[in-house]
Amino acid sequence: MSLDRQPTVIARTVTRLVVPLILVTALALLFQGHNLPGGGFIAGVLTVTAFALVYVIFGLDYLEAELLDRNPGTRYETESGIIREYGTVFAVGLAVAVGSGIAAIALGYPFLTQAVAFVEPLPIYHELEVASALVFDLGVYAVVVGALLTILAEVGSE
Amino acid sequence: MQPSSSALLALLALPFLGAAFAPLVYRVLGERTAYFAAAVAAASLALVASLFGTQGTVAVPWIPTYGVSLAFYVDGLALLIGTLASGVGVLVFTYSGGYMHGEPGQVKYYATLLAFMGSMLGVAFAADLIALFVFWELTSVSSFLLIGHYQDADASQYAARKSMLITVAGGLFMLVGFLLLHVVATGVPAVDSAFRLAGEGSILANADTMVGALRAQGLFVPVLLLVGVGAATKSAQVPFHIWLPNAMEAPTPVSAFLHSATMVKAGVYLVGRFRPLLLTDEWTLVFGILGLATMTITAILAVAASDIKELLAYSTASHLGLIVAGYGMSGYLGAETGAFHILNHALFKAALFLVAGIVAHEAGTRAIDELGGLASDLPLTAAVTTVAALGMAGVPPFNGFYSKEFLFHAVYYTAEHAVADGGSVLWWLLPAVAVFGSIFTFLYSIRFLMLFFGDKPDALGEVHAPPLAMTVPAVVLGGLALVVGLGGVAGTFGVHFTPLERFVGTVMESSLAHAGEGEHSFSYYLPTEVSPWLIMSAVTIGVGAVAYPFFDGIRDGVRAVRDVDYLRPNWYYDGTVAGLDRSSAIDVIQTGNLRTYALALSLALAALTLGAYAAAGVAVPGLAFAGLGPALVVVLAVAVVGAVAVAAAPSHIAGVLTLSIVGFMVAIFYILGSAPDLALTQLVIETLVLVIFLLVLDKLPAFYGTANRLRAARDAVVAGAVGLTVTVTVLLSTAAGPDDVIAQYFVENGGVPAEHGPIFADAGGGGNIVNVILVDFRAFDTLGEISVVAMAALSVITLIAMRERGEIQ
Amino acid sequence: MTQVILATVLGLLFALGTYLILRRDVVRVVWGVSIIGQAANVYLVTMGGLTGQSPILGHGGEHPVACSVPDAGANCVTDPLVQALVLTAIVIGFGTTAFALVLTYRLYQEHNTLDLTEVTVE
Repeated sequence: MSLDRQPTVIARTVTRLVVPLILVTALALLFQGHNLPGGGFIAGVLTVTAFALVYVIFGLDYLEAELLDRNPGTRYETESGIIREYGTVFAVGLAVAVGSGIAAIALGYPFLTQAVAFVEPLPIYHELEVASALVFDLGVYAVVVGALLTILAEVGSE
Repeated sequence: MQPSSSALLALLALPFLGAAFAPLVYRVLGERTAYFAAAVAAASLALVASLFGTQGTVAVPWIPTYGVSLAFYVDGLALLIGTLASGVGVLVFTYSGGYMHGEPGQVKYYATLLAFMGSMLGVAFAADLIALFVFWELTSVSSFLLIGHYQDADASQYAARKSMLITVAGGLFMLVGFLLLHVVATGVPAVDSAFRLAGEGSILANADTMVGALRAQGLFVPVLLLVGVGAATKSAQVPFHIWLPNAMEAPTPVSAFLHSATMVKAGVYLVGRFRPLLLTDEWTLVFGILGLATMTITAILAVAASDIKELLAYSTASHLGLIVAGYGMSGYLGAETGAFHILNHALFKAALFLVAGIVAHEAGTRAIDELGGLASDLPLTAAVTTVAALGMAGVPPFNGFYSKEFLFHAVYYTAEHAVADGGSVLWWLLPAVAVFGSIFTFLYSIRFLMLFFGDKPDALGEVHAPPLAMTVPAVVLGGLALVVGLGGVAGTFGVHFTPLERFVGTVMESSLAHAGEGEHSFSYYLPTEVSPWLIMSAVTIGVGAVAYPFFDGIRDGVRAVRDVDYLRPNWYYDGTVAGLDRSSAIDVIQTGNLRTYALALSLALAALTLGAYAAAGVAVPGLAFAGLGPALVVVLAVAVVGAVAVAAAPSHIAGVLTLSIVGFMVAIFYILGSAPDLALTQLVIETLVLVIFLLVLDKLPAFYGTANRLRAARDAVVAGAVGLTVTVTVLLSTAAGPDDVIAQYFVENGGVPAEHGPIFADAGGGGNIVNVILVDFRAFDTLGEISVVAMAALSVITLIAMRERGEIQ
Repeated sequence: MTQVILATVLGLLFALGTYLILRRDVVRVVWGVSIIGQAANVYLVTMGGLTGQSPILGHGGEHPVACSVPDAGANCVTDPLVQALVLTAIVIGFGTTAFALVLTYRLYQEHNTLDLTEVTVE
């Protein structure tokens, strides 16, 4: 399978339509994960599929050239280009996850203790549950997205 | 008085910090890093000095769940080893400043040497079995690095590997001994913390009950032997002495520091430390024989040496044997011998190593036959050598004489009492062997001294004067040795060198068994009346002096015997190592072929699992069909068909597509099995797997190997065995049910409690228990798992984007 | 509660996976590992009970009983712990599969073959 071939118009149009939907779904899954099916892992892999779709349909350089409006970074290089940025994403994710645990230590709880707060009253929502675990989940999400995209882009660039 | 915990912790942290900063310091100071290291050692020495007069335990919790703490214990013996490590450290670092001039790898050298000093201090002060073991192995590792300092030399590599193999293997024996001790100690109520070796409520503090418990479980002799192996390998006792002469490949300051004054003392330290616990008739037998045999055999080998450092190496082993033999003897005499000789040996042997370094550095050779008459060129060095070598020989009034007298006294006393108690006459062999070995000690000591006297061989070129940085440490050590010797002379006239005597007294107390060895205050002086042990000394020196003119003949005779293969432990060592290297077993097992490993693994797995079921007499339960909906059955059937299709796939593409069928069926299985999160993840991941497979396969050829029917049939049998094992396991495990299910805890605590405050941290507070487990209850596990994901990405980057880099280097 | 059908299915999947791991073609080995991974996940989920309800609760309600508790009754929820385990296992499984594939690719680049028997001896 080569990524350089031009896909059909239908494929491109559908992709344009579907990718935002996937991303929104992924975010919804990420935020509802504490109470309904979802969570960092699922949201992460779903986000990656959106990117995978873009890669397959539009080619590897599309993201950088069209969306970020810059010259695509040299492939085979880890010092620059989008692969480097994916690397930053998972590194930041790990840092966030660890940091959320250390924050618990700073507050006098064991490492990675999570708390839940209910904020009320609020208009429309009536009450809102805020879980500190969401921060950790965001870390998980970033790691999964960063790492899987790194793999995908690295393999795809060959 | 209780030791200050901050001083103790600072003492242990300081050398490691110094090691960590060594690379930075080297950038600024260059070769003068030696003096930075010496300053670190001096600070450590000052901290050790501040601990003098204190005794007790300092504990910091480490792994509280298992009762492992980082506990340190200060007493005489610990202070002696600590003083040697830091004090000799100061001198050796200073000396290195001169010796290592222009040598390669100095950063590594100083960092490792500092780390070694820290580990040695750790060994000295550790009060906990685990901490002791860790520091012990750290000294082995740093010794390995330092012996292999000249990385390109084959001899260095061989020597480093040998020392590592022998000392680390011995350390593992010791670890087993420690664990056995721990197991026994858990059953002794008086021992509070079963890993604690010394101090309040420790193993040593309850020696009698511990020995009773050990004997009751039949573990006394095993523990004694296991600890003994650890000590013997570290302290180069026969037959493990073989690594020490090779270790002389290290730069000379390292030899002086690690392989004479400190690291090899770790073994005798261990013996001294465990003596109060394990001192019994068996102890005397094991360590008496071990020590005296080592002392004699290595003294003989030292005579045959052709290189000055080799001579000193064998001599070191011999004196360590003397110390071990001393500790082996019962009564305060034994402890006295060990304690005093550790100090004396460190002083004269470190001095002699530094002298050897000066000689090698300035005369350009270490061969004994090529050296002579150095006194005219190196007068100060010659003076140091005279004091140190005569001390080593045991000639009065130099320091080694006194401790050797103690040994003679101790072995004589032991033999006399053993025979008086109806023991075998063979006990008299102990004093006889001690004298016999000492004669050889005398011979090689004089031979070493004679390097400086007599005629200077013509072949020996000009000998320069050594730099001050090299002379001063040697003079300091020689001076200290002289002071100790003169202290004995003064003692004869009733003027006692009290601080020293009191200190050696406390060292001795550390090794005294609590029962029956009585109160005894340490003092030493020249003998004023004729005693059997004085006669033993006289015989040693007399026979030695008579035999010295025939030194060359004796040496040649020893060499002839030494070179007989079957008598050389080295021959066995090399044979074993080489045998392991080329043994056919490795060719059969380590084929490098994945198939072989997978085959062995699969068969072993099947055989062991089924065998275990059979051995445990597990019966396959009645085959009651559990309620499984028709939808599930269909899904599973499709999955199996898909897997069969994968196995039979005619091409890679077909295989990948059918593999996806399996994956999607598994996703549906999760849906039907009420696992919505899993189903979602599986569906998405399956898509990604398909993409990545196709991306990679695009670059690969359509290879599908020729089918070999015989091999396929054989593999099918193995696969069948694995499948059967799994089937049986699943049947058994689904039939059984644990009474206490962890999941119930999560189900009960994962959600939002019916009544709760606005903020709470004790319950999960989420409706999706799976997610709550992931991000709250088992968040630490999740952290590990996302690290794995990140690592996979890093590996892929390394394999693809960085592939060119490794090949450049 | 014996799961005869699942036992058979898992046995078959493991057997097929093992058979694939013993092939000479590296790609097939990767497939084998992948199938065994899937089967192991299925096994874990099976242990957590299949017939219960999803482990998703309303706020402040009664605590249900996990199906893996003996005599859990019909209204039990499937074991959330094994699901959490398997969830991460799936994602990690993708990471390892991708890694194995990249290794395969590099193997082909270096040795110009996918035949494991040809790359054994240096």
